[in-house]
Amino acid sequence: MVEMTRRKLLGTAAAGVAASALVGVPALAATRIRHYWWGNPERDKRTFAVIDLFQKANPGIEVSGETIGWGDYWTKMATQTAGRNMADLVQMDYRYLFEYVRRGALKPLDEYIGKSLMIQDFDKGPIDGGRVDGKLYALNIGANSQVMVYNTRVFQEAGVDADLINWTWDDFAKACEKISAKSGGKVKGADDLALMIEVFESWVRQNGREFYDANGKVAATVDDVATFWQFWADLRKKDVVRSKDKTVILDVPIAESGIAVGDTAMSQFWSNQLVGIQAVSKDKIGAAMVPHKAGGKPGQYIKPSMFMSLSRDVKDPASAIAYMNAWVNDPAITKVLGLERGIPVSQKIRDQLAPGLSEVEKLSINYFTAIQNKVGGLPLPAPKGAGEVRDAFMRTGSDVVLARTSVKDAAASFIDDAQAIIDRAQ
Amino acid sequence: MNRFIARNGPAYAFLLPWFLGFFLLALGPILASLYLSFTRYDMVAEPRWVGFDNYVYMFTRDRRFWKALNVTFTYVALAVPARLIMALVVAMLLDKGLRTIGVYRAIFYLPSLLGSSIAIAILWRQLFAADGVVNRVLADFGIPSHAWITDPNTSIYTLVLLAMWQFGSPMLIFLAGLRSIPRDLYEAAEIDGTPKWRQFLRITLPLLAPVIFFNLVLQTIEAFKTFSSAFIISNGSGAPADSLLFYTVYLFNEAFKFFRMGYASALAWVLLIIIAVFTGIAFLTSKYWVHYENERD
Repeated sequence: MVEMTRRKLLGTAAAGVAASALVGVPALAATRIRHYWWGNPERDKRTFAVIDLFQKANPGIEVSGETIGWGDYWTKMATQTAGRNMADLVQMDYRYLFEYVRRGALKPLDEYIGKSLMIQDFDKGPIDGGRVDGKLYALNIGANSQVMVYNTRVFQEAGVDADLINWTWDDFAKACEKISAKSGGKVKGADDLALMIEVFESWVRQNGREFYDANGKVAATVDDVATFWQFWADLRKKDVVRSKDKTVILDVPIAESGIAVGDTAMSQFWSNQLVGIQAVSKDKIGAAMVPHKAGGKPGQYIKPSMFMSLSRDVKDPASAIAYMNAWVNDPAITKVLGLERGIPVSQKIRDQLAPGLSEVEKLSINYFTAIQNKVGGLPLPAPKGAGEVRDAFMRTGSDVVLARTSVKDAAASFIDDAQAIIDRAQ
Repeated sequence: MNRFIARNGPAYAFLLPWFLGFFLLALGPILASLYLSFTRYDMVAEPRWVGFDNYVYMFTRDRRFWKALNVTFTYVALAVPARLIMALVVAMLLDKGLRTIGVYRAIFYLPSLLGSSIAIAILWRQLFAADGVVNRVLADFGIPSHAWITDPNTSIYTLVLLAMWQFGSPMLIFLAGLRSIPRDLYEAAEIDGTPKWRQFLRITLPLLAPVIFFNLVLQTIEAFKTFSSAFIISNGSGAPADSLLFYTVYLFNEAFKFFRMGYASALAWVLLIIIAVFTGIAFLTSKYWVHYENERD
């Protein structure tokens, strides 16, 4: 008797589940698209607001947003790609673009341009940054460049009067000394950037080479690495950069950088991060260029900070492209997005945004204007394995920072490792 | 046959959920990983058969593989004895017939429940940070502060300490083992005037041997598999200077950061073999040092 009742109960429950599942299907909107991006709290807030706006304007389309930090973004993306379950629209980075296109994970956008994707009047250079083998696989949703963020109060107090757009590494070192001396060592001149391959890349280009040549070989030399690490070792010895304990913690969040904590007066970032850094810094920040080599070539460059791409697994391309088009053209949407992902590459949108900009947004636009003629060309996309080379740079560099190995040995072993990593990745 | 069922039936009944999980959920991926370990697979393009290339590369050219083994073996050699000794000491302190023992047991077990969690790993990182609590307390005693986690020479000890603190589950098992030692043996020894340390060496340890053995095997396997705490404390990278490059952290990075799923599968199989070898050694040597009470000669 008890058994019967239990079985009956189970049966009823199962039927209930089945029924609710059936009811659930037609309740879904006609079309659903998934948008996946890496973010931070500020970016997520803005993006979800955009999704709301878009859904109100397009009742037939439901957009589901998926967001995660940069650190886990590519892991999740690779897993979803392997499982043939990519989001319809994915945020893409210049570093990974070629890799994903070559693996066949993205769809070209050319057939939609001028029909449902109105980007004909966008800046040509930045748009072409999303081309692979002549086809457009990625839509630029913001441009950025390297920036040396500085604390304006500390700079003023220490009397640093260098021209922060045209300054040299020598000026930079002197500024570090001045700042540390003025504060009695409490505020160091800058973060120790010896582990940042992004800064090293500028260093190499200033010496007249690219990090990777056109064949994907490592073109940076042992001497490039050794002089770079020696430059920072000298500053470390003078005790005018951040302590080594904080330096060997890799890829710290913005809020733990020297400038946010107040340990140092300068940290290195990408220009679209200015808004985020100001949000976590007590003092007003300023934007300087990566220092130049006296008599050298331009090292810094302007790059697409982020792209939006159409994935191979897209279900309804028409709706996905409609969303993409609204992202870069709809005035209400571009207003919400602002400059958070980088400077928009449409002059029309930039003009629309200009009157309503906040102080830090103005800073980033002005910085962008100031550097236009000081930067070099966009380097070729890095070969497969470049992400791992970045890790190796930090790892070998850590040994130098901790004085466990000599600069010369470390530089030689890094160049060997880098080429081996690239060879293995092909 | 009937006798077999009568004897072992209940055991298999209890094992059934595990068997179901194993055959339905785990076995497929395990076999797939064996296949993948002989391929080059970036998770997007189809896997490509490369024979033993992954294994050859691992043993002949991959310096980080050896580094990871070194870190992991060091950790196992330090953390397992540390945790077992801690567990045994606390178990013996608790084995005094206290009425409130349940409360203490729960309290001492708590770190083990929390210990493997992400939150504790983050807490640990902050405790031992350059400006963390540990350094502040040490400063009160006039001991100069030290960057415990960012100094490659000390970073692993912070993890050993964390492992030691999570002594709960072996402690519970030790406690049960201690309870099953007949009291009259101690009484007899007491009457003979045997000192306490001798009682410990001659009665407690030998009679506890099966439980020690069980804990040793389990904790060794556990230690080889340590992942989340090392991953969090090293910021996912094995830093500083690869001093926290645990085998599992290396494996994870190979698979999900550099998308070498084939190579990572090979790493996983090598880890499985290493653990099997260690467990095998423990079992083979056990007949020389583990004495079972109901053993028939």
